[in-house]
Amino acid sequence: MANLTEADLKLFVDSIKHYLKVTTRQEPQITSAFLGTGDVQGFEFNGIVTFSGSYNGHVVVSMPARLLRELLLLQHETDLSDGNLLDAVGEIANTLAGNARKTLGSGLVISVPVKMQGAPGIKSRVRKHPFVITLRWNHHEAMVCVDMEKQD
Amino acid sequence: MRLLIVDDSNMIRIRISRVVKNGGLKNVAVVGLAKNGLEAIRIAKVARPDVVTMDLTMPEMDGIECIAALIKLDPKINILVVSALSDKSTAIAALKLGARGFVAKPFTDEELQIALLDVSDSR
Repeated sequence: MANLTEADLKLFVDSIKHYLKVTTRQEPQITSAFLGTGDVQGFEFNGIVTFSGSYNGHVVVSMPARLLRELLLLQHETDLSDGNLLDAVGEIANTLAGNARKTLGSGLVISVPVKMQGAPGIKSRVRKHPFVITLRWNHHEAMVCVDMEKQD
Repeated sequence: MRLLIVDDSNMIRIRISRVVKNGGLKNVAVVGLAKNGLEAIRIAKVARPDVVTMDLTMPEMDGIECIAALIKLDPKINILVVSALSDKSTAIAALKLGARGFVAKPFTDEELQIALLDVSDSR
């Protein structure tokens, strides 16, 4: 994490705010942003994108079912099954990672999103000192966890 | 106008379908939904779409490879890239291969409607 600058990390804060504002017209409130430990407590639905190329690591979007259901309903989606909630959280992670290339450069290679159900999902992917962004959207808490380092 | 929607996210496939259905694009009919490039090529051979919305980051076959294959199949096909990979070099690569437009995710319904109309008009 030492190689990431504050500006690099701010782009993920701006990115999740932008995503929710554009897709739902409701901007989230960023409740905290801090350097965490490996013991991150996530939510039930997790979308994980792996970085390679000019950076190594992951971005994890962790959200509760209630938030994802509301997000889908706002987009007029009627299938609120767990499969669709996982699909939605994976798509959000994919969008944050893809948008990061605009700032971090096209040398940043991003994977297709991996989706994991269950709060321990986030723990299995983060290393010792992830950058954690917590947010509240429409009365629901969620988290974005950025764990990446620049390659020389 | 026959539209094929290619995206690995079901949420996005359904959303684009809804925008087409409810957004005043009355001359556009969705003829297929594909969740990766390989599926898109299989469907395109049968459904013969005029317009394709194309995600880039997908399993099996990504969007860049799929654009090249679809243009080879039908050089007149209109491809609108709809992707989170919004950096300049990715957009240029897609346009060089023959894509006609680019919409960055996240997008509003209005942005997608305008882009689809532009791509449809370019025929």
